[in-house]
Amino acid sequence: MQALKGVSLSVGSGEIVGLLGPNGAGKSTLMKIVVGILRPTSGSVSISGKDVAREPDAAKRVVGYLPENPSLYTGLTVREFLSFVGKIRGVEDEPLRSRISEALKTFSLEEKSSALLGTLSKGMKQKVALIAATLHEPAVLVLDEPLTALDPRTQAFVNGWISSQREKGTTVLLSTHNLDIAQDHATQIAIMDRGSIIALGSLESLRKKAGTGSDSRLDEVFLKLTTPGTEE
Amino acid sequence: MNSSETVYTLVRYWMKGRFTRATAAWMVIGESFAVGLVLLVGGTFLSFSSRFNIGSGLSYVGLSLLFAFFLVGLVQSGFNGSGLPVSTADVDYVFTSPVSTSDIFIAKVSMNSFTTVLLSFPPILTLYLRFGASYGTSPLAALAAGLATLAFFVLALFFSADITLSLNSRLGARVRLVRNATLVAIAGISLLPLTLLIPEAPPQLAQAAGVLPSGLAARVSYSLVSGAAWGSGDYIDILLLAAWFLALFAVGLRLSRRNFLEVLQINDPDSEGDTLKDTKVRSSLKTEGRSLGAVVRAKERVIMTRTKEMRSLFVNALFLSGFMVIYSLSGVFQSSPTSFLFLLFIIGSFGSGNASRWLEKERLWLIKTSAIDLKRYVSEVYRARVTPLLLVLAPVAAAVGAPLLLEETSTPGSGLEIGLSLPESLEVAALMMAGGMYFAARYGQSSVDDTLATQGQDLADVKRFVYQTLINLGLVAPLMGFVLGAGPLLGLIGGSHVLLLAGVIGVAGLAYTTLVLRFILRIAGESLERREDL
Repeated sequence: MQALKGVSLSVGSGEIVGLLGPNGAGKSTLMKIVVGILRPTSGSVSISGKDVAREPDAAKRVVGYLPENPSLYTGLTVREFLSFVGKIRGVEDEPLRSRISEALKTFSLEEKSSALLGTLSKGMKQKVALIAATLHEPAVLVLDEPLTALDPRTQAFVNGWISSQREKGTTVLLSTHNLDIAQDHATQIAIMDRGSIIALGSLESLRKKAGTGSDSRLDEVFLKLTTPGTEE
Repeated sequence: MNSSETVYTLVRYWMKGRFTRATAAWMVIGESFAVGLVLLVGGTFLSFSSRFNIGSGLSYVGLSLLFAFFLVGLVQSGFNGSGLPVSTADVDYVFTSPVSTSDIFIAKVSMNSFTTVLLSFPPILTLYLRFGASYGTSPLAALAAGLATLAFFVLALFFSADITLSLNSRLGARVRLVRNATLVAIAGISLLPLTLLIPEAPPQLAQAAGVLPSGLAARVSYSLVSGAAWGSGDYIDILLLAAWFLALFAVGLRLSRRNFLEVLQINDPDSEGDTLKDTKVRSSLKTEGRSLGAVVRAKERVIMTRTKEMRSLFVNALFLSGFMVIYSLSGVFQSSPTSFLFLLFIIGSFGSGNASRWLEKERLWLIKTSAIDLKRYVSEVYRARVTPLLLVLAPVAAAVGAPLLLEETSTPGSGLEIGLSLPESLEVAALMMAGGMYFAARYGQSSVDDTLATQGQDLADVKRFVYQTLINLGLVAPLMGFVLGAGPLLGLIGGSHVLLLAGVIGVAGLAYTTLVLRFILRIAGESLERREDL
């Protein structure tokens, strides 16, 4: 089975690309290839000029990844886990300590720093995973469904956090089913279906492609482009 | 739907998901392998027994201890909450349907029993047929003994399910205390046949285990296979076994009426937060100023300490050392190559089991997306895990070796074999652990508890089991060859060179172990690099 075919995507520095598509479209597979978990049978991925297959270590140093369902070491405390992740991501001791303290404060997790990860709620674990993804200050963030199963308060927090990443100039590849988030943040939107990118561009260009009105919402555009037989 | 239709429907659909063609094919291969192994081990055991004129008593002891370990393992599994395995899909779809929880209980235990019987029957029957041929009894007797043994296996599954069901039932403090004391007593009494190995220990002690299912099943099975004359006592044993069977099933049925759903909360990962709420832990993972390797090792140690892993390692080592010391003191441990093999295997197999608890599982995403060398990562994890294993096993080997060496001071050949077998048993354990980690890296991991809980759900693991056993045996074979060859070699070059020969063989064994370990850990790291099922 071919999970992806003919996918070509170029993301400029500081851009946020919203990766949309129905379930099984290949979004997570594409993201796993970008971060080096999966190897493509053909083709290549370069991040900051580093080929992920040929120079995996160099590429991994500039990428931060949040999986759809991040599994953490439940037997470690929050601070222990973040220290461990920072270490394996090559962060020096002094900056690591200050980044962890700062992040715990930003994410309101200071009180939980000595709690075992297994005792935290889903939202708190997601926050810890987000901190882990950024400890080495990556230039590129790959976020796979960062809002899944989060309560509204945590969703709002993560939403704000993604905005802050845009302001910092971080490049973000964001896979989501939440079209509002994509509409709010994405400078480019890629719509995937059955392993291919069927549309790519700004919201305006996608509206034109879909033939919807100039003030149409992204969900209308998305449905128009992904419903068989309705493409222009 | 009536009750039997519900049970049938549930079992049928649970089965559908488990038995794919590939699983069935590997099951046949695994069963053939198990049958071959049983023939080999059974033959070796019979030759060992007849050579040292140990007599039939040891066979009964062996069988009753084997059953006792099985029972104790399931008691432990029941206490871990995995005596009645349920999946998330069961919780979401089966328990929310208008189906009686008793029917679900019956379907669950029926299915576990079915897979257990299916997987266990061929090797058990083979073992009894092999023994029966040696004793000159009919194949029908072996078949009857196999059925008695299977009945015991199934009732042990009921027992485990009952314990899990009782965990969250509203038992008063006093009843809970009684239950726990009873279970400890059952575990203790079931292991009493060990005392038969102690010279001059009263045989009545071992007979006490005869009231438990393990003792009853062992006695019935052994009587049938050995062709001993049948008396009224044997019929009483069968009746008692049947009574245990029915009583444990009835208890489970009773407990399943009220507490089944609540028990599930124990195993629900999302409820973990409720039981551990507000737990503050003093940090013991220091990363500052330490190398990456030291941090990985420290992380592994912290996780082992905070889970039940380290505790179970010590408890198992305690059991192992008790068994080994009693066995070595019993006098059956003569200066025989077979006995060394036995020693090496028992101690060494500990490593393999220990490795199966290496559970990175879905957390591998974290490691694979970091710029680290996975081969080095695996080596560091191995170092962290093998150290406590060797620290626990070294006193066991010393405890076994000291009395044996004292007995054999007058015969340099035997002394040399014993002396070499003890450090090399640790090397066997280290190799088997590395082999286990390689297979965990290549095929994924499942803990011992998972294996017990799923009862054949992951029948594909058979493939891993076959490869692992064969390759591990191949890996440790040279070490065993060194031990077995030491005595004859000393005979050739003269007893005065005993220390020199011990040194040469010891160094050769160590060099071999080091080389093989480096190789296995390298390919384990490479396997992790290739894993894409994250």
